Amino acid sequence: MATTVAAPPYVAAHGKYERGILSWLATVDHKRIAQLYLYTSLAWFVIGGIEALIIRSQLMGPNGRVVSAETFNQLFTMHGTTMIFLVVMPLSAAFFNFLIPLQIGARDVAFPRLNAFSYWVYLLGSLFMNASWLFGAAPDGGWFGYAPLTTRAYSPGLNIDFWVLGLQILGISTLAAGFNFITTVINMRAPGMHFMRMPIFTWSAFVTQFLIILAFPIITVALVFLQFDRFFGTNFYTTAAGADPLLWQHLFWLFGHPEVYILILPAFGLVSEVVPTFSRKPLFGYPVMVYSLILIAFLGFGVWAHHMFAVGMGPIADSVFGVTTMLIAIPTGVKIFNWLGTLWGGSLRFTTPMLFAISLVALFTIGGISGVMHSSPPADLQQTDSYFIVAHFHYVLFGGSLMGLYAGTYYYYPKITGRMMSEKLGKWHFWLNLVAMNLTFFPMHIVGLNGMPRRIYTYDANQGWETENFLETVGAFLLAISVAIFLYNLIVSRKRGERAASDPWGAPTIEWSLPSPVPEYNYAQIPTVTSRYPLWDKKSPELTREVPHTKAGERRIDVAMGGKQTGATIETPSDTRLNAENAHPSAHELGIHLPTPTLWPLCAAIGLTVGFAGLIWHERISIMILGAVIMVVSLYAWFLTPLEEAH
Amino acid sequence: MATASVADLTPVEHHHTSTGLDNKKIGIWAFIGSECLFFMSLISTYLIYKGRSIKGPFPHETCGPPLCDVPRNAILNIPITSASTFVLLMSSLFMVLAHSAVVRGDRKHSKLWLAGTAIAGTIFLGFQAYEFTSFVHEGLKLSTNLFGSTFFTLTGFHGAHVTAGVIWLITLLFIDIKRGLGPRDAINVDICALYWHFVDVVWIAIFTLVYLIK
Amino acid sequence: MAPHPRLRRVLRAALTAGLVFGAAACAKEFPNSTLVPHSEFGRDIDYLFNILFIGGTVVFVLVEAGLLYTIFRYRQREGAPEPKQVHGNTALEITWTLIPALVLAFIAVPTVRTIFRTQAKAVPNALQVEVIGHQWWWEFRYPQLGVTTANELYLPKGRTVNFALKTQDVLHSFWIPAIAGKRDLIANHTNYLWFTPDDTTGAWNGFCAEFCGASHANMRFRVFTVSPQEFDAWVAHQKTGPAFGAPAAAPAAGAAPGATPSVNQVATSTAQTTPAAGGAPPTPAGPQPQVANVSTATFTMDQLPRHVLPSTPLPKGLSLSVTSGDAARGAQLYRTSACIACHKVEGVSPGVVGPNLTHIGSRTTIAAGLYPNDFKHLTLWIKNAPAMKPGSLMPALGKSATTPGGYDDQQVADIAAYLLSLK
Ligand code: HEA
Ligand code: HEA
Ligand code: CUA
Ligand SMILES: [Cu+2]
Repeated sequence: MATTVAAPPYVAAHGKYERGILSWLATVDHKRIAQLYLYTSLAWFVIGGIEALIIRSQLMGPNGRVVSAETFNQLFTMHGTTMIFLVVMPLSAAFFNFLIPLQIGARDVAFPRLNAFSYWVYLLGSLFMNASWLFGAAPDGGWFGYAPLTTRAYSPGLNIDFWVLGLQILGISTLAAGFNFITTVINMRAPGMHFMRMPIFTWSAFVTQFLIILAFPIITVALVFLQFDRFFGTNFYTTAAGADPLLWQHLFWLFGHPEVYILILPAFGLVSEVVPTFSRKPLFGYPVMVYSLILIAFLGFGVWAHHMFAVGMGPIADSVFGVTTMLIAIPTGVKIFNWLGTLWGGSLRFTTPMLFAISLVALFTIGGISGVMHSSPPADLQQTDSYFIVAHFHYVLFGGSLMGLYAGTYYYYPKITGRMMSEKLGKWHFWLNLVAMNLTFFPMHIVGLNGMPRRIYTYDANQGWETENFLETVGAFLLAISVAIFLYNLIVSRKRGERAASDPWGAPTIEWSLPSPVPEYNYAQIPTVTSRYPLWDKKSPELTREVPHTKAGERRIDVAMGGKQTGATIETPSDTRLNAENAHPSAHELGIHLPTPTLWPLCAAIGLTVGFAGLIWHERISIMILGAVIMVVSLYAWFLTPLEEAH
Repeated sequence: MATASVADLTPVEHHHTSTGLDNKKIGIWAFIGSECLFFMSLISTYLIYKGRSIKGPFPHETCGPPLCDVPRNAILNIPITSASTFVLLMSSLFMVLAHSAVVRGDRKHSKLWLAGTAIAGTIFLGFQAYEFTSFVHEGLKLSTNLFGSTFFTLTGFHGAHVTAGVIWLITLLFIDIKRGLGPRDAINVDICALYWHFVDVVWIAIFTLVYLIK
Repeated sequence: MAPHPRLRRVLRAALTAGLVFGAAACAKEFPNSTLVPHSEFGRDIDYLFNILFIGGTVVFVLVEAGLLYTIFRYRQREGAPEPKQVHGNTALEITWTLIPALVLAFIAVPTVRTIFRTQAKAVPNALQVEVIGHQWWWEFRYPQLGVTTANELYLPKGRTVNFALKTQDVLHSFWIPAIAGKRDLIANHTNYLWFTPDDTTGAWNGFCAEFCGASHANMRFRVFTVSPQEFDAWVAHQKTGPAFGAPAAAPAAGAAPGATPSVNQVATSTAQTTPAAGGAPPTPAGPQPQVANVSTATFTMDQLPRHVLPSTPLPKGLSLSVTSGDAARGAQLYRTSACIACHKVEGVSPGVVGPNLTHIGSRTTIAAGLYPNDFKHLTLWIKNAPAMKPGSLMPALGKSATTPGGYDDQQVADIAAYLLSLK
């Protein structure tokens, strides 16, 4: 069974589900799954953004009348939940899927079918949660759904049920992907790909997966409690029974703070790929960049209560969490400065990906600094739950995560599609975005400090908040235009973009040795990696000789597999087979055998979602049983069919 | 060797992986790591709410009006649970024997011990079913008080894990009977064993923290 | 494309500083500004904030200036050789690990000091106030003085006040931005917050800062900081029985009808002055002597600054067919109305679910700061509260398609007139 390994040969796979819609429903190819993640999450980005636009329209002036209080509460809850769980995380997952196998020189992820399962669960889970709009019962408890407001007693409707169950479904998807990627990185690196040679994005992805598998079980438990309280009358958050409302807050933020690093580290990784390429210099302080990733992740588990400075934890807890929170600024700062160090003395080319990468450095710093301002508990008593917080997290999330993901999208688009995105439109997107972003979110600092609470659907006149709120709304609509430009560019470039060479940017890492788009089998032969920047070695070894973990002289034969000479993609770039841009040989011709496409993961995902849907009307046991049956049957069919068809 | 792995699925292939271990092995370890936090959260919630119930029945103390409508004695039945704990511990031993039998390709014993493990697991579940029903008769339900909520949720989730394990074991047993589990399937039994031992260890923690410590 | 980096740096610094200090500048324009605090607690926080702000600005300027400089200095030039392949520099990396560490130490020390100072026990002779959060209104109790009121908080200037924060239902958060930091109201926990209001008479806005459901945005309150004398007068007045409807001394049912006419005038005049200036009646010579000096203690609409005058527009589809009510009839009606189940009027009705109405007439707003407390708004409120405030737990009492058994407009108006007369 154990055939998902880093090297051929595989057992023959015959043309099943080869083209058409079925080829997408049944795909187990990490590159196609990556695209599914990409497009789905961008669609949700539009939805979440439109929700934000309605929020902004309501708040444009005092006593706004665009939507009702109830609708507004649903809007910001779904906006936050969507942007975090349905946009930034899956958008990062798109890059995990696409890049991890390519960057470590593998044919696919460790468990290709589990990978497909993760995507389908994500898709169905996101649809499930948003289906609540159709019932006029979208979640309305805020994205961190504080109990007891979210218990049956205070939220009798279906709203919170959709939220709880939706998050549970999404959690399963994220966790499954987490196990998958961890295994992939640990176990499927090409020969010579030592940990300290791994491309830095893979490192950040790797660290992120650990955050995921350690943080998600905690929110799962918190949600289970809420679910049981709502459905089975348990008392976890029933204050009348002596429950402590802080239980939810501790569990949630014990997940929630690691979560914010789950949201930013992949973006950091992408920026760390883009900046060296366009500076024509290796990443400054690669080892320190790796250690700081690990340190951030580690500290990330010890600061959760900085979201609870106003709940009265007492001076000692406040001091401890305040200080640990400040400490996180140090490893993060190291990253910022090392990026500067990479730029310094380089030969900078301001392509669109580079511009977005640089703007992350500029904007995330602002968000980080406001973060440090929150980290002083007494000061936070004036900031928490005000728009100052909203400003902070949009600078780190929009100015951080999203900038990084934009950069990554422009950077890897040619590798994904074989065509370049328009630089002209890219520049438009960038500048409009930069202006609009600051216009939208900077004034939030000021209204926040001027006493405007967050999550208010309306506010009184004469509070000194009008001007800023008006500017924010204008900014939001400009942002919408910039997003529209981006989406237009993304879509039309697929057909009309100029064809991309295998290495259009002159990048150092091995994924750029592959044709664009990447053939289904990735590497015709599994490369042997001899350096941190193999492609630069190849082009100008004299330049990279100084870089540690580069041993250009390393003898291929040492790491050849099964006595067979490998590393051809690096050895023989002239190999027409591999450099032919449009026509490259099929897996078949090369005698490479790939996992067989299968519909079972999709079926299992459907079963799972149906089961949870049954819970929504929890008297409908029949639906739950139906879902369970579908799930179990599909799982057995899945596990009992070998990864590749027998020969 | 390249061709070797085409021919049949021998463990030799593992050499292709960076660590030499099978992916499934790494995967299950990652899964277990995650599960640790799952149970840690459940257990710490139990401990946080310990002694915070505003009405009985209670785990270790008797209670009467006004805390309980009628006089109740301490709920937890340590002797019986010790017995079920012993059974579960034994099942881990059987699991080890099953695995080594599979590695040896000794189908007679692999079937025997797989069955043994599954049965022991089922007996444990029987004990739990009995425990739950008797608690309900003694007036402790999910919704009774904080103790009821935390206790049933914690032990219930452990029970669910045992159930999943038993189903997994039965599946393996079924395959063994149908086509036999040989050394090349060792990995599949191996990961099942890892899972089973983990579930067992979790129970030791629960038994100590919930039942033994007053 | 851009001016010289050094110039840039200066501009950026000036800009940020300008923006924030500008915001702080005049409290007139920014009535809720946290940057011009009005208590020692507020100032402690502001002091910390300034440290944070300066530290932050330094870091900001250094990073952004460095970034801009690098960008301009090292942009790709034609025919330039490949850049030197530096892969790191331990000395540098240690430096920029230590410098932030220093900056943070410089922040952490005063932080911890402030934490322990501001969270110490309040001075024993502090004025005790119990704050009880309800969806979506505030109950204020002065246990030492035996006063209970709602949504309007009177505080003596210069005296330390110690708040005990509790909630009846979900979490809320008690925040008066212009005076001090916030604290959450959490079931099964009593939180404490104390500060000493500065010696400035004023009316301040308070907000609920923890999302608590449909009308979280409408869970506001007012704070009046007054001189000790005015405060005592206010207390004395609050301790009296209802100005009308029940004798002050021996609280009992049965109003003295004799008193009604004058009060009638009040109600009517209220009705006429609505809604323009808000229902600011000439202080009536009510039954109780205290009422006379009330005017010195209670704020009336026309005395109030703009930022505490509610501007909430009336929801569409609410109409009223009468312009005045009869307080006497209202008094009778009230006794038998549904109101008494939830509301307390000392000696008249026992309710505890809703706000205490004994002196509702002396308040400037209704519905937790959402509407001015005048005849029109109060009548409409009683007629159909849920329409006036999303999710309001007070049912609609007026007659309507859904509530055929409800009161007609005149009856509602009478009750409103009665309540307004409870100065
Ligand atoms: C991408 C997500 C992300 C990231 C990366 C961060 C990063 C940080 N966050 Fe943020 N945070 C959020 C997302 C994020 N946050 C969200 C979503 C919320 C709101 C949740 C809600 O209530 O809805 C929140 C809320 C939040 C709070 C709670 C506020 C409140 O509700 O009262 C606090 C308090 O300490 C905080 C602090 C920090 C700190 C110290 C960092 C640090 O990691 C920042 C470190 C970075 C820098 C400091 C800049 C670079 C460093 C240098 C240039 C070195 C020199 C700098 C100094 C010496 C200062 N954040
Ligand atoms: C990654 C996370 C992320 C991102 C990207 C955003 C993006 C935006 N957010 Fe978000 N926000 C959050 C995470 C995020 N937010 C979170 C976690 C909360 C807290 C929720 C809570 O309190 O529970 C929050 C809350 C929040 C609030 C506070 C609500 C409140 O407290 O009452 C506001 C208010 O202005 C706001 C505004 C915006 C705006 C204007 C954008 C803009 O950047 C959006 C720009 C994007 C678009 C506008 C896309 C739409 C595009 C088009 C329409 C183009 C047309 C094209 C087609 C139709 C094809 N957000
Ligand atoms: Cu009460 Cu928000
Ligand atoms: Cu945090």
